[in-house]
Amino acid sequence: MAGGGDWRPPRSCEDYWWEWKHCRGLRHAFHHYYAHGALPACDRWRDDYEACRAWERGRAAAAQEALCKSERARVMEKQKYPPVWTLRKSPPPDWYIP
Amino acid sequence: MRPHPAALRLTARGLPRCLATPSPPHVAGAGPAIGAAAPLPLCPAVGDGGRLAGAGWASAMEQGEAASPPGVREEEEDDLGYRLFPDRNKKQQSFLVRSLFTYHNRCQLMLRMTLDTNPYAQLLLEAMKQSGCTVFNDRHFSCENCDGCVSGGFDSATSQIVLCQNNIRQQSHMNRVVTHELIHAFDHCRAHVDWFKNVKHLACSEIRAANLSGDCTLMNEIARFKFGLKGHHQTCVRDRAIRSILAVRKVSKETAEKAVDEVFDACFNDLEPFGRIPHSKTDAKRAYRDFQNRDRYNANL
Repeated sequence: MAGGGDWRPPRSCEDYWWEWKHCRGLRHAFHHYYAHGALPACDRWRDDYEACRAWERGRAAAAQEALCKSERARVMEKQKYPPVWTLRKSPPPDWYIP
Repeated sequence: MRPHPAALRLTARGLPRCLATPSPPHVAGAGPAIGAAAPLPLCPAVGDGGRLAGAGWASAMEQGEAASPPGVREEEEDDLGYRLFPDRNKKQQSFLVRSLFTYHNRCQLMLRMTLDTNPYAQLLLEAMKQSGCTVFNDRHFSCENCDGCVSGGFDSATSQIVLCQNNIRQQSHMNRVVTHELIHAFDHCRAHVDWFKNVKHLACSEIRAANLSGDCTLMNEIARFKFGLKGHHQTCVRDRAIRSILAVRKVSKETAEKAVDEVFDACFNDLEPFGRIPHSKTDAKRAYRDFQNRDRYNANL
């Protein structure tokens, strides 16, 4: 996490609002059901949006903490499974060879 | 540069222009492309009667010869799929012949349209640039005539995406093929993918490509006469990955299924660089926006 003075929410509050609104929509509900077999849970986006707004209003440390925790949890969820392959440190050597 | 056959690994993205066998439900992967109204004709015989080409969407160039034509020497090794991409080993045609007698120009125009306007492709290009693999149109894309039902492929030996100019007729089709192959290219760029020897690596890339390119949208599946709703996307991704492996490897169905099952959870949930499963251009645009803002995101976690 960046230093207190420089910190700002990882996404803009408009992004959180958009994600929440999009999550609640019928189209997304359908796609989520089609892809995962269950309806989406959107409360987290709402909580993140409210935390973002609370931080914007009063720079509340609790809001900052809650937002960071939520986003870190999202990142951890993506890293739940061990990778199948080893990541490269540099691009393939023959990528640009004509 | 002619790649050494042993080093060639081409994943092919076939979108069906024809049916490999007269039984549509079995080869539903070779169902009609979106917008096609008429029933599909049978594929022209390719070597073993089009069985491999009928796997359609993702036959790779490392084709196992399941049944070679009579009179041809049976080869021990995979033929690497050259027969699906015959132009790969031929001298390039002259400019005039290419312009007047092939669909080369149309392919180039559609490709340009995709790269300039399609948010899926734009995100992948940007992600690859960030990974150090800037994609150049004339170096990394090649419009060629292909065999059978194949629509495209990724040649890891020459780092080229092959687009089948004779099989891609619609812009939406081009968009999907380019996205699919760019995902393979992106995986090749960011990771040590052993295309040739490791079935799990191949399975993983195919799972990701089927998941993220829009291959398994509901409409596409309906067009292939495959019906399902609850969680059907995963069924589609799994099936297409298995079929792709079977098309390019001399392995049993059980081996392919086992490989896909082992890596499915990890690879289905690996959504790089999109960060979400893009079900529409809106999702893809949003994913592109998030990718552009990732510095802010990572700095403030």
